[in-house]
Amino acid sequence: MTFDFALAWTSLPALLNGAWMTVLITVSVMAVGAVLGFGMCLVRMSRNRALAAIGAAYVAVFRGAPSIVLLYLVYAGLPQLSIVRDTPLWLLFASPLFCAILGLGLNHSAYVVEILRGGLSAVPAGPVEAALALGLPPRIVFVKVRLPMAVRYGLKAYQNEVLIFLKSTVAVGAVTIADLTGAANEIFAMTYDPFTPLVTAGAMYWLLTNGLRLGFEALDRRLNRHLAATVPDRRPATVRRSRPGLSLFRQPLVRRLPAKPAARETH
Amino acid sequence: MGLLAYGADGYGDELLDGALVTVQLAVFSYLLAAILGTLMAVLTLKPHGLRWMIGRVYASVATGIPSLLVIFLLYYGGTEIVHALLAPFGVEERPAIPPMAAAVAALTFVYTPYLADLLRSALQNVPKGQLEAAEVLSVPRRQIWLKVLLPQALRIAYPGFVNIWVVLLKDTALVSLAGLTDLIAAAKVASGSTREPFLFYGVVVVFFILFSAATIRLANRQSRRLDRGVRASEA
Repeated sequence: MTFDFALAWTSLPALLNGAWMTVLITVSVMAVGAVLGFGMCLVRMSRNRALAAIGAAYVAVFRGAPSIVLLYLVYAGLPQLSIVRDTPLWLLFASPLFCAILGLGLNHSAYVVEILRGGLSAVPAGPVEAALALGLPPRIVFVKVRLPMAVRYGLKAYQNEVLIFLKSTVAVGAVTIADLTGAANEIFAMTYDPFTPLVTAGAMYWLLTNGLRLGFEALDRRLNRHLAATVPDRRPATVRRSRPGLSLFRQPLVRRLPAKPAARETH
Repeated sequence: MGLLAYGADGYGDELLDGALVTVQLAVFSYLLAAILGTLMAVLTLKPHGLRWMIGRVYASVATGIPSLLVIFLLYYGGTEIVHALLAPFGVEERPAIPPMAAAVAALTFVYTPYLADLLRSALQNVPKGQLEAAEVLSVPRRQIWLKVLLPQALRIAYPGFVNIWVVLLKDTALVSLAGLTDLIAAAKVASGSTREPFLFYGVVVVFFILFSAATIRLANRQSRRLDRGVRASEA
């Protein structure tokens, strides 16, 4: 049970290649999930009962199924249909990368639907009514007032979801894509060293997840900079420092004003 | 539908065996993670000191890497790890680690900090008066933990615990990549030899959705039972 630094160094290019594949898939899935999720969120929130039911079923199926099963369904199941096999669509579905991005994207988008829906319904009525009273067309009110506020409310949940699905991209090994885990496995198969490649890959995953987390936190600070009036934290030291967040780094001793208007103001 | 029949003609029995492996894996890992998570929450309750630091580093590692990587690590390297752990006690053994044990250990390793974090913040949200009252009544230390603090903290952490259960259940799907014959592996074999992947993976999807829906339903009923005698806040 030893860590072989020489092996870690020589296997670095292969692992970085795998890491690049992981990043590529993550970014593509985020894009697919954002587009699909936004569209399906509108369907889910539609006033038309039938459309809303379709949206609800979409969320239930794609959120309830493990992503690896969705990958198998897209990669092995869809080519069963002649509409996929006998048309130019086949060019797309023959590619494992496309199938992986579509399968994970379906899974991710179902979560995006629910996060966006939660954010949109948390927007208080006041700003929307004010914008409508000013004569702005409803479409502009949605794009310029409701959506920006909903994005701010949902950002934390979205961050959690992205971090979880970044880790679930390991499932793409099932459709023969060599991502970071696949690269580490390959090196294990060649050297029979169970620790060095897997631990190195683990360190890379750790850097990826934590880098992404820091990025999201910076975005959160930037989007909520109008709340930057940080109040000094006067709670007792024990309460103050016992934030249950997963952060490894020390938190600043200031407390952000609540992003949402509190139910009852205390003046 | 004949393909799903039970017995030699269909794949019903194989799928059922696979589903049993999936459920066993999820239940065992979750129970172990809940026990260890409780222990970890109690040990790292004070937000400073060595124990807290070790807990933070462990949580950061376990939540920062994919569980499949941990499964592989314990599956390939488990024998060596057990050997290295036992060697200081003079036990020179290299036991073979069955895939099931490696998978349970890996999922437990990954999910313990999630549950510990939930329980820790719940413990901090138990009203202070409860602890003070128990101390004033000179209730023994162990009784304070077991009869006063932990039950109330569990009630607060309950919705989070149910969430993690659903996440863990879906995460067990990855073990088929490490060679365990769970539900997904069974479906893969069946769809490979019958060329009906849509049917078999469809069955798997339905199983996961129904099983998590059933457990959530059960959990909600239990949660209402736990919440009896607690007034809902108006906000």
